[in-house]
Amino acid sequence: MNRIVLISGIVIFAALVGVLFLNLGHDPSAIDSPLVGKPAPSFALKAVGTGETIDVARLRGKPAIINFWATWCGPCYLEHPVLVQNARVLGNQVQFVGVVFNDTEQKIQAFLADRGSAYPTLLDESGKTAIAYGVGGVPETFFLDRNGKIVAKYTGPMSTEDIQKNLAKAMK
Amino acid sequence: MTATLGRFLILASVLVSTTGAMISFAAGRKHAPEGVRWAQRFAYAFAALMILATLTMEYALLTHDFSVSYVAHVGSRSVPTWVTIVSLWSSLEGSILFWGAVLGIYIAAATYLNRDQHAEYMPYAIGTWLACGAFFSFLLSGPANPFLTVPAAADGPGPNPLLQNHYLMVIHPPFLYLGYVGMTIPFGYACAALLRGRLGLSFLKPMRASLMVPWIFLTCAIMLGGWWAYEVLGWGGYWAWDPVENASLLPWLTATAALHSAIVMERRGVLKGWTVTLIQASFLLTILGTFMTRSGVFNSVHSFTQSAIGPTILAFLAAVLIFSIALLATRIDTLEAEGRIDSAASKEGAFLFNNLIFVLLTFTVLIGTVFPLVVEAVKGKQMSVGRPYFDAMVVPAGTALLFLLGIGPALPWGRSSRQQILKALLPPIATGGVLIALGAAFGIRNGWTLATMFVGGYAAHVTLAQMWQPLVQRLRRGDSFGNALVNGQLRRGRRRFGSYIVHSGAVIVLIAIAVSSTQRTQHEVKLTKGQATTIGAYTLTFTGTEVRQEPNREATIANFNVAKNGTPVTTLAPRMNQYPQMREPIGTPAVYSTLKGDLYLSIMNLEGDTAGVLVLWMPMVGWIWFAVILMGIGGLVALIPSRAVIAVEAKDSVAAAAPALS
Amino acid sequence: MIFLFVLTLLQVKVPDIAEAPKGLPVAGAMLDQRTNEVASLLRCPVCQGLSVADSPSTMAQDMKHQVRELLARGYTQEQILAYFERSYGQFVLLKPKFQGVSAMVWLLPIAALIFGAIVVLSKAKQLEQGPAEAAPADDPYLARVRELVEKQ
Repeated sequence: MNRIVLISGIVIFAALVGVLFLNLGHDPSAIDSPLVGKPAPSFALKAVGTGETIDVARLRGKPAIINFWATWCGPCYLEHPVLVQNARVLGNQVQFVGVVFNDTEQKIQAFLADRGSAYPTLLDESGKTAIAYGVGGVPETFFLDRNGKIVAKYTGPMSTEDIQKNLAKAMK
Repeated sequence: MTATLGRFLILASVLVSTTGAMISFAAGRKHAPEGVRWAQRFAYAFAALMILATLTMEYALLTHDFSVSYVAHVGSRSVPTWVTIVSLWSSLEGSILFWGAVLGIYIAAATYLNRDQHAEYMPYAIGTWLACGAFFSFLLSGPANPFLTVPAAADGPGPNPLLQNHYLMVIHPPFLYLGYVGMTIPFGYACAALLRGRLGLSFLKPMRASLMVPWIFLTCAIMLGGWWAYEVLGWGGYWAWDPVENASLLPWLTATAALHSAIVMERRGVLKGWTVTLIQASFLLTILGTFMTRSGVFNSVHSFTQSAIGPTILAFLAAVLIFSIALLATRIDTLEAEGRIDSAASKEGAFLFNNLIFVLLTFTVLIGTVFPLVVEAVKGKQMSVGRPYFDAMVVPAGTALLFLLGIGPALPWGRSSRQQILKALLPPIATGGVLIALGAAFGIRNGWTLATMFVGGYAAHVTLAQMWQPLVQRLRRGDSFGNALVNGQLRRGRRRFGSYIVHSGAVIVLIAIAVSSTQRTQHEVKLTKGQATTIGAYTLTFTGTEVRQEPNREATIANFNVAKNGTPVTTLAPRMNQYPQMREPIGTPAVYSTLKGDLYLSIMNLEGDTAGVLVLWMPMVGWIWFAVILMGIGGLVALIPSRAVIAVEAKDSVAAAAPALS
Repeated sequence: MIFLFVLTLLQVKVPDIAEAPKGLPVAGAMLDQRTNEVASLLRCPVCQGLSVADSPSTMAQDMKHQVRELLARGYTQEQILAYFERSYGQFVLLKPKFQGVSAMVWLLPIAALIFGAIVVLSKAKQLEQGPAEAAPADDPYLARVRELVEKQ
């Protein structure tokens, strides 16, 4: 029995098969946000329609939801009514804000007219705010507590349940 | 009907391969000649069943039989016939069926070629092959069944559009499979040697040949993958250190190392256990490679091949790994060293360092590819290991290999005096110097590239000198040129000649990669109709766009006139192909290849009359493709069996014809 | 400081880089080259492993413009990489950082090189020794022959 071969074999087996096994079923493109637990990056963007500039400081005092989306995104189309409905219900307690990037004002207006609007939608023309928030795809949603700290990030379209679960963290 | 036939054939192959494996292993232990015959029969039967099943699937595809699940998945009435034929390997289940067929062909060929020889080893080898065949048949009978019956639709979605974009996609998968699957054969031989507890030098011949054949295919397949990425993906590169690309490189590295250590084994009778370990590793890495491609665990360009059979393949990998480790741990010491080496400062020593570097490269590429998974498992965070890492690690190793390519063949076998060594090693330095001067004259200033030029020039000198040595020796003895060429290079010295052809190709590849990576120039520009941009000596004028409707896609083409130093030379037409089932169009770049380099044009965006394009000048890229083909040709030359084998067989038949002694 | 003050006055919609640039502004052809270099160290978050320099996607283009702007304002490569790392995490860095767990990916191959070189050199020495003594020590005839030969 060749000890060296046996031991190195066992080590290689354990390491390789172990690592692969532990990663089974895990989606390699799901990236955790490093911003959770940190203050929300600042921005100052123009709202579509009204033209007023809204900055992140405006969101303080209440928990906030920042939803990044775009008109060309299928899941965003499905998610939008859910957000609008929740905004109508929770509007007093929670500040909703939508941020659109890589898009045009015309298309956004058409989308909102079609799918509804209950809160400000901001246009990030240069995409810098999306970059600052580490947005990789759309839709992505950030939940902020009343002090402007990010408590959760949700990737993908949300249901009412998802919104409420994450809001609970923001309410604490 | 077709689906049922297919399922029946697959089930039969599960039975045949499982039974055959058991019988073969038993025959190996009992040393019964009748057992060997049965093992061979089962091998041929497995091959026949797999080939028939594949032909059945092609039939279903070509007749657009949408009641077969795989056809419903990838078939379509509106794609060209060639696309229908190649959609066999376009998607998961079909590609496993293709794997099974290739495996069957390899097993049948290896069994046939050794039908009257090596009876002590062959049953063990056949048993191992059929056991692997059993796994793939099992996959096809259950988790990856392409022959399920589904309600027949009128039409199907067609294969992945990426496959319809370029004809290179037709040859890359088959070559890759012929390379990957082929590693099963030497694996079987290695297991046979270990199970038998002996590796006689006569068994080396089939072992090496069985390693060489898939090596040739894999070398070409890796190049074809790179060429495809270059011609199709539009970012102007041919290698991204993508996990799946790395997966194809890993077994190539260990197989190349094994081919070299087999030479030492043949010459000196040492390194048997090591060579066998490398062969086991090559096979294991192909299974790892197929796991990486299909499991969805890795973030990769190939992720359209994801499926649910990842865990099953991992189980197979674990099983084969345990089997190999157990076999090696218990039996490696039985493969005694029959000889020794005289000195480390010799060709043998160079081979040892060659193996060291290849194994280090394998380890490094594997670590880099798997590391993000380790961090994910251990810390739950995501990290990336990308090109900057691999380039930093591989470039020095590649240069070291190029250096060895020069020194190794120059050194004599065995022990030699200091004087002899210097006499062998000093002259090529001049050629190295010439190449550095040439490079500097062409404007190369990058340190690593200049180092590569020197080392490459050195290696080129040695390779050419060694390659033509038999010819030169015969000419010196007074032979005519024709005789010297045929006898020295082609009749007798084929293996040596072929090997040096491979080395010449390798030297060119390494130099071309260095030059094309560091000397490339690029810029992005937005052009309206009529505007032009320049790169190097070329001027590209944007003449407008056109839209073309093709049966399976809508193509928007941007037309460019290309002029060199004022004179028009060609037109380039990069395009954006919009396939009905994809949201975004897929861009195809346009490439103008010359001896000096490639002019590469890719569309970034198209808005009305304005085209945003990426313009690239890549020097010496074309040399890479042709040099790799040269490597393949060299391998083929080395493979052609020499006269000795044929002579032995003729003697046998004469002996058999002699009257029997009473 | 004045620089930042002027920035706030202009209400430039710039995301939060609180620190000042540590290097000199870059311009012209040098800016193109540096943009490419830094962009090729960043991973496009929506692509399959492509760098920001190579990717045609709009997200990558936005990131590339951001890199260019930051370089033009004098931010160093370290600052720019750190900025993207704050937003996206270590995932966005194509070159693993030499700290913590990820330092291992750099150290392991070096360790393997040293270990492998030692193994090869000792194996070469061992092979120079030749195969192990084949004759069994207790063969009486061989021992006798040796005795007789050595006597002479």
